[in-house]
Amino acid sequence: MPFSALDHAAIARALSQIADRSHDLVDAFFERSEEVSLPAEGGPPGFTVRREEGLAIRLVRGDRSWLASRDGISPSLFAEALRQAARAMPIAAYPEPRLDPTPWIDRPEAPELVPFPTDVIRHLRQERVAFPLRLHVARHRRWLQIIGPRWVPEEQFESFYSCTAETPWCRLGMLLPSLGPSAVEAVAAPLLESFRCRHAPAPEASTGVVLLGPEATAVLLHEAVAHALEADTLALGGSPNAAIGVRLAQDGFHVLDDPSSAPEGVRRTCDDEGVTVCRRWLLRDGVVEQPLADSAAAQVTEALLPGAARRSHRHLPPAPRSTHLEVVAGEYGLDDLAADSDGLWIPRADRGRLDPVSGQFSLDIPHARRLRSGQIAEPVGPCRLEGRVGDLLGAIQGVGRQAQTAGAGWCAKGGQKLPVWATATPLRLEGVTVKP
Amino acid sequence: MSGGNAPEKAVVDPEVQETLIAVGDLDGQRFDQAEVFTKKGKSRRVTLAPGHRTSVYSEERGWAVRAGNRRASFFASGTGQVTPAGPWPEPDGLGLRLPKPHAAPRWVLPSDFESPLIGEREGVALLDGIARALAEELTGSRLIQAAVEDGASEAQLMNCHGLKCRFRHRLASLHLEAVAPGAAGIRASLYLAERDARKFNPLALARRLADRLSILSQGRARPRDRGDCLLAPPLMARLLAGLTPLWVGTEAKLKVDRLWGGDRRIAGEGWTLLDNGRLPGGALEAPFDGEGVATRETVLVDSGEYRRPLLTWWQTRDSEYRESGCSRRASWRDLPSPGPTHLYLRPKAGISVADLLGDIARGYYLLEATGAGRFDWQENRFEIPVCGLEVRRGRATGPVNHCVLRGKITGFLASIQAVARDLAFLPLGGMIGSPTVLATGLELFAEEGPG
Repeated sequence: MPFSALDHAAIARALSQIADRSHDLVDAFFERSEEVSLPAEGGPPGFTVRREEGLAIRLVRGDRSWLASRDGISPSLFAEALRQAARAMPIAAYPEPRLDPTPWIDRPEAPELVPFPTDVIRHLRQERVAFPLRLHVARHRRWLQIIGPRWVPEEQFESFYSCTAETPWCRLGMLLPSLGPSAVEAVAAPLLESFRCRHAPAPEASTGVVLLGPEATAVLLHEAVAHALEADTLALGGSPNAAIGVRLAQDGFHVLDDPSSAPEGVRRTCDDEGVTVCRRWLLRDGVVEQPLADSAAAQVTEALLPGAARRSHRHLPPAPRSTHLEVVAGEYGLDDLAADSDGLWIPRADRGRLDPVSGQFSLDIPHARRLRSGQIAEPVGPCRLEGRVGDLLGAIQGVGRQAQTAGAGWCAKGGQKLPVWATATPLRLEGVTVKP
Repeated sequence: MSGGNAPEKAVVDPEVQETLIAVGDLDGQRFDQAEVFTKKGKSRRVTLAPGHRTSVYSEERGWAVRAGNRRASFFASGTGQVTPAGPWPEPDGLGLRLPKPHAAPRWVLPSDFESPLIGEREGVALLDGIARALAEELTGSRLIQAAVEDGASEAQLMNCHGLKCRFRHRLASLHLEAVAPGAAGIRASLYLAERDARKFNPLALARRLADRLSILSQGRARPRDRGDCLLAPPLMARLLAGLTPLWVGTEAKLKVDRLWGGDRRIAGEGWTLLDNGRLPGGALEAPFDGEGVATRETVLVDSGEYRRPLLTWWQTRDSEYRESGCSRRASWRDLPSPGPTHLYLRPKAGISVADLLGDIARGYYLLEATGAGRFDWQENRFEIPVCGLEVRRGRATGPVNHCVLRGKITGFLASIQAVARDLAFLPLGGMIGSPTVLATGLELFAEEGPG
């Protein structure tokens, strides 16, 4: 681990010097990240490697925050950043603690990336399908150490892969915890389905039954539950406290955020402020129980629990975001959810959008299939599911019993690009509007 | 300091030179193409959110190395100071070619590059000033989020062909989000860029936000209508950005030929489109692009006649065109890629917006795009959701919203009849600028569909 040789005690002592008021929050954030990517076939250059290392010092005092960040880790950079966050020239210089991260001298390699595109193409060929395809695959690794004046949580490590597939008719992006046979299947299956649906006409505007697959459920809940219940989003409309206890969905529908049960490789024990993560019930029996909050929000609103702060890199302050959403499995199989209905089966969604002020929500769907008397039938083309968050969540009438890791992707709210993960089930919605 | 005019005489740091030599002969693999790029900068960002203010001061320092030969190459980037020791990844993929140095026109470092970054108090005062002015302009409206960022950087670039340059950048951005009075959830946002954060005018910005909120709140959809339209700079900039595939890259000319059937006249007399990486006063003004090629003014469309696309040095190989100096690096982490720097429609001196407005007997003054535009090159169609004002006999008579400007791409370019003098830029993947233009015969539809 690169930060094991940091002088934690000296850093904590230095931080305590600038946290000179009783409710001051102060932390030091040390980060090392690496992205190794293999461009799509035919794209220069060869391996692309990005390696970064740096630190940030943050001070939160009441309704103000100050952050100073540097590209590099050294005692002098730490002392400079500390002085800037404190916004004062001390009589005596702040002590420079010993900062010796493990030297980063190993050659950047990711041999596991090389066979992946070929494996996906081979998988497609086994299905007797071939089409122009450009696959870009990357490995992302990140090491974090957060240190406060009174606590030193364990060092955090994340490792995962991203894959972007481009065909003449679609662009598909996804995050993968590993690059095994299941990852090949996870990339090939939606590509195959998009190939089969590529000429399908868009469905006519309608209001009725919609069956969401786990991938689409994950995107829906990321926007309609996670983003809607972030303390900073809630603050746009008034007090975040007011959301607690509000019914958004029916009994039996539970959504949690639990970074500690995320896929192996991205599991976290503490958030990006160093606060221990918890199994956070966003919705319990359809009622808002615990919105996503960071320490600054929790300091202002006592009912909020910190532990959901995330930052995409050292140059931005943390903000409340979800890490791993979990839908508690229900009691229905897919056949029960379809239950002789006519409507749409939506296996996947490209992206969702939430207007935090109006509560208006939309989900872009690249393709779907008609549901005829409960059977999945012919394909339909691109369409959009629209509505207000409360109406959409209120339309959930059934929760599937097959929970699976699904719908992982990049979230880019507020200029912070973060990986988000989910474990989701199929959902049955009634009375929702789908437009071409 | 004059930003470095001779790309082989600039002085670069010793570690840049040492690294270039080291990667040129890496593990005995002769890389006849090698380039070292370094950048360091500092920025201050002040943000205003409900109940919280944040001030961030960042100092960034990073490097990027490209190396390869005809058969293989790699790209590596990292933070801190570049060192000859690397470590470097295994080369793979396609070969690499890098530009050779050419004499560059003289460029003098603008004096405002030397001005200090906006201070924390100045930033807070700017955002507070906008919030106050907005509340005064439109009672009950409020700024819900705002961020101002001011940054300065210096880059160095050296390659194996003897190209050496050193140049600086200065850039500030402002993001504002406001809500209208009432519970309808009407929201308007602005994203702007200038060279110096002190150029943002709180009162003008507050008025612009207040106008936009008023129009969005009170504007009504119009049934299908055709008339003269005055298109304001923010809307025109979005349209120009949407039309970028016609102006940038090797495929651009093919698209133009396909749409206009090989005819060089693609727009009205008033349409002169340029890109200029060294536009005086421009937010992205610099003497060299991201690969060390001198930037220059390139006329893409001259008085309605298509001249050429915007091309990097490597895209001009086997072509009749000269390179435009338009390789951009979003940051030191990113590979250079072709794109506009200051792409703009040339304004016409002496013509004010009021002059053009006075010419409209019946039509619309369309101010902003309310969503993303769609451009279908195969079908020669475009559409973009808009809002603005209805105009009768040169006077605004009522707000218009939930409308879509829709038609043929070729028809849109032909419809531009006059151009005003009020050139303004928006950051839309490069700075894209336009003055207000008068277009005739455009069709406006209600947002839900034609008719």
